[in-house]
Amino acid sequence: MNTRPIHLTVNNQGYEVLVPEDATLLELLREEIGLTGTKEGCGAGECGACTVILNGKPVNSCLVMALECEGASVRTIEGENADGELSDLQKAFIEHNAFQCGFCTPGMIMSARALLDTNPDPTHDEIKEAMEGNLCRCTGYEAIIAAIEAVGGIQK
Amino acid sequence: MPGFLQPTTLEEAFALLDGKGETRFLAGGTDLLVLLRLGAISCDNVMDVKRIPELSTLRLTDETLEIGAAWTCNQILAAPEVGSEYAPLRQASAALANSLLRNRATLVGNICNASPGGDMLPACLVLEGSVVAASSRGERTIALKDFFTGVKKNVLKPDEIVLRTVFPRTQGRGTYLKKKRIHGHDLAQVSVAGFYADDGHLRLALGAVAITPLLLDFGVIPAAELPARRTEIIEAVAAAAKPITDVRASREYRLAMGRLFTERIIDGLIDGSLGLAEDRPCTTPAREAVTA
Ligand SMILES: Cc1cc2nc3c(=O)[nH]c(=O)nc-3n(C[C@H](O)[C@H](O)[C@H](O)COP(=O)(O)OP(=O)(O)OC[C@H]3O[C@@H](n4cnc5c(N)ncnc54)[C@H](O)[C@@H]3O)c2cc1C
Ligand code: FES
Ligand code: FES
Repeated sequence: MNTRPIHLTVNNQGYEVLVPEDATLLELLREEIGLTGTKEGCGAGECGACTVILNGKPVNSCLVMALECEGASVRTIEGENADGELSDLQKAFIEHNAFQCGFCTPGMIMSARALLDTNPDPTHDEIKEAMEGNLCRCTGYEAIIAAIEAVGGIQK
Repeated sequence: MPGFLQPTTLEEAFALLDGKGETRFLAGGTDLLVLLRLGAISCDNVMDVKRIPELSTLRLTDETLEIGAAWTCNQILAAPEVGSEYAPLRQASAALANSLLRNRATLVGNICNASPGGDMLPACLVLEGSVVAASSRGERTIALKDFFTGVKKNVLKPDEIVLRTVFPRTQGRGTYLKKKRIHGHDLAQVSVAGFYADDGHLRLALGAVAITPLLLDFGVIPAAELPARRTEIIEAVAAAAKPITDVRASREYRLAMGRLFTERIIDGLIDGSLGLAEDRPCTTPAREAVTA
């Protein structure tokens, strides 16, 4: 398989990497750049474990081709504690027991981050809609929604 | 897995298609990449068409609404040009998969994929949609009622790129109703779109009840005649539906729900409740309306 160079920004840091032509954005992040916080669950758009923020929008990175992202800006779970401290969402997930095995959590937090970036004070229903592509096999969804509501500053 | 092509003009796209083996077009990839990874399809190249400028425009003119092929469902929902008169289109956009996938899934990808259960298809049919396709031989417009030929089959030639979907300007009342197994993302078990133009033209379309989406064009029925013709309309829809039993639903369930949705639409038109309280701009669009 041919490789091609790609330039993109991940968590505000510029990268120039060689990627196989058929690689997905998920593979680029995990295997070429070494950011393994983003997870692969199903590899088919079903679970949302691979969610990253691509040019401001949350997407399933398993269904984006790496070479589509030339010039793109990507945010991953590693960007949440870029300054060495856990982000508000990460702290809220801990406080609300919003994960057990944690496999879905990077994707959950990226979907929630994208929501809060455009809608800082979302309603319960808006949170549910924004999170509907992220599946969790352990925790149930109430704690996850509560964590996001807490960051959104909504009184329960 | 195939090579990757990313033209930035139509001319470049046509040149790249020449003699390069089989090329598949990539929009949001939410069908194509799943099928490629499953090994259900194969090709020599994938061509990302989203950087071709002709595919990125959305225009509302005096005669038409034109939606470029790179437009995603979520972008369509956020576009002020796609007003409440296009309610079936808005509601189908909101019913497709989930909000995450809708950031990538395009209207044209749904149309070209031509799944009988594709959410956008009944909505586009009742709104008299067509697509404009281009190849090195020129452009042609194809009415969607003549577009679908079978399960995941359409009339496009392998080298034809769809540039946009086009709808006539219209006024009227309509909706899109989708029945699915779960609250999360799932293809329709059955779906019904309806549009009743202000001039009295009634169109209904059904998804997941045949190998292609079905359009039923009832012509002009004045509002005063709708109650008397209610049964005839519902029976015509029921007679046209030829569903099968599969993992999502039995044949009988599809028939029953298709009938129920048709009744709801006709009754909503008769009592005036359909199409009055269209919510827009919508973040949680017509949730009750789409997941009955
Ligand atoms: C988890 C999951 C849930 C889903 N749920 C639903 C659902 O509820 N309802 C539903 O209807 N669909 C659903 N889908 C299917 C899919 O998301 C939609 O069909 C979507 O609209 C496809 O658009 P796309 O832009 O991703 O298309 P792509 O995958 O990029 O393309 C689809 C097909 O169209 C062709 N194509 C794309 N653009 C062009 C063009 N400009 N010219 C010519 N050919 C073109 C491609 O070559 C390919 O054959 C789901 C998919 C997944 C993975
Ligand atoms: S790994 Fe991408 S959606 Fe499951
Ligand atoms: S915490 Fe285990 S999948 Fe969500």
